[in-house]
Amino acid sequence: MRYGMVIDMGRCLGCHTCEVACKSTNNLPEGIFWNRVYNDGGPSLDSPTGTWPNNSMSYYTMSCQHCENPACVKVCPVGATYKDPETGVVRQDYDKCIGCRMCMAACPYTGVRSFNWEDPKYVLAFATGDAEVPAHQKHTVEKCTFCYQRISKGETPGCMVLCPGRARYFGDLDDPNSEVSQLIATREWKRLLPEKGTNPSVYYLV
Amino acid sequence: MVETAKKKLSPLAIAGIVCSAVAAAGIVFWMIQLSGGMVQTGMRNLDSWGLYITCFMFFVGLSAGGLIISSMPKAFGIQGFGNISKIAVWTAISCTCAAIGFVVVDLGGPQRLWELFAYSNLSSPLMWDIIVISVYLILSIVLIWAMYGEEKGKVSHTALRVLSVVSLVTAVLVHSVTAWIFGLQISHEFWYTALLGPWFVSSALVCGTALVLIVAIALRKAGRIELGQENIVKMTKLLGGFIMVDLYFFGCDLLTSAFPQGSGLEVVQMLVEGPLAPFFWTEIIGCAVAAVICFVPSLRKNGLLAVASALAIVGIFCKRVQLLVGGFQIANIDSIAVTGPYATTANTVGGLVYWPTGIEFMVTLGVVALGGAILCFGLDKITRK
Repeated sequence: MRYGMVIDMGRCLGCHTCEVACKSTNNLPEGIFWNRVYNDGGPSLDSPTGTWPNNSMSYYTMSCQHCENPACVKVCPVGATYKDPETGVVRQDYDKCIGCRMCMAACPYTGVRSFNWEDPKYVLAFATGDAEVPAHQKHTVEKCTFCYQRISKGETPGCMVLCPGRARYFGDLDDPNSEVSQLIATREWKRLLPEKGTNPSVYYLV
Repeated sequence: MVETAKKKLSPLAIAGIVCSAVAAAGIVFWMIQLSGGMVQTGMRNLDSWGLYITCFMFFVGLSAGGLIISSMPKAFGIQGFGNISKIAVWTAISCTCAAIGFVVVDLGGPQRLWELFAYSNLSSPLMWDIIVISVYLILSIVLIWAMYGEEKGKVSHTALRVLSVVSLVTAVLVHSVTAWIFGLQISHEFWYTALLGPWFVSSALVCGTALVLIVAIALRKAGRIELGQENIVKMTKLLGGFIMVDLYFFGCDLLTSAFPQGSGLEVVQMLVEGPLAPFFWTEIIGCAVAAVICFVPSLRKNGLLAVASALAIVGIFCKRVQLLVGGFQIANIDSIAVTGPYATTANTVGGLVYWPTGIEFMVTLGVVALGGAILCFGLDKITRK
């Protein structure tokens, strides 16, 4: 089994709901994002691509790519970041992480891993999201877990549930009959930085 | 006699005491960094390493020269550089201790250090480095002990020679493995090159030899050792040679990166005319001037040789900065804008993605002082008459 996600870029509205859903589902501290929405046009929110009048607007979302050949797992000196043998999900053990940040240097996908540079701070006085989410720790690295607490109960990741455009699909890439495998088989897709040889499990339908 | 020696402290011992005090102050700043969070440093998610890892690379390099200068002549059975073997090994030991210190202060969870031994992941180059550096430190200590033993006739010449060969191999390995922490990461174009291993060894030889040269000249001037000028000249020529090899490697790397005019050109432009240009040109000009001083016989005067050595050391430090910051400078995915307080700091200098904060400078000073204290106390003991 190898869990993967397929994101239909044609259906993405750039509404950032998945970004917020991820934050609330996983009770992410202030300033921490595991999932972000970017647009091809530039760094500002909703920057269009191209020059007037030939502009277009396109978005893509970015989080851990849950690579089949993850660069981060190899370099962690204590095995705090590891690939779950059953699901292929790249996970992070906060209790083990020594905070050396080698995984952040090794990951080619700029900015998907984040380090808690200080004691986690929260906007709300109470925790949000799933009860099983492990507590965030100061000076440890964390990132998207494909909402491991949800998928291990047979549910789908938080970002996917709330997506208003229904742009996200989740399932087993090893099962040829799964919705994700069918989409990959029938639609045109791309993956991020294929030349790095990491074989990511996140596909973008174009 | 013993009593008077105890009462009057040598300048080296005084320097050692001052360094210890600075190191203690560094510990205070390290505690502030740990309790208040590493948010106080200039490091962030997009530049996850900074001055500490730069200095780690630099001090691992500095430690090389000493061990190689003292073990190479013994290993190959050729004439050495006079009676500076023990001094040279001691500089190696001090620099290795400082290098280990820099890794420790960089960790977010130093209280979890024991996990390195309990859960060692042997596929990680960082783990390889921890193993090789530990072996290197122990070997250096055994080597200096064996040198004393040989003088007293307790350790045979053959045993010392075997030990020297093993040390030499370990010294080369230490620098290669440190290079591989970076050079095996396909994520950063600047780092991912097979040349990085040999290049680290050559840079280590440059700054390590330069450090031994400075220490030897200073100790001789202070009258603590007697060393023939021909030994200094030999080391100087060696330093010049190492500098040329290091610059040659840099040239090879720049040409290979730039020639296809692909994404590697961006790396070269970043170094030559981009935000890292001040460090690049300081290294190139500093090393070139140092090489000229080393090669022109009439310039080989003590003062100038110390200047040349200092230029070589500064040049190699600038190289480490280029390598570390340059690796993070160029993002892999262009259009992304990872923003927020934890992505990058706002207080960057000259367009660099990273610039250290005050607390990093203070902690760094503390770790350097730790190395300095070990160096001064050790040299005081070794050169005591």
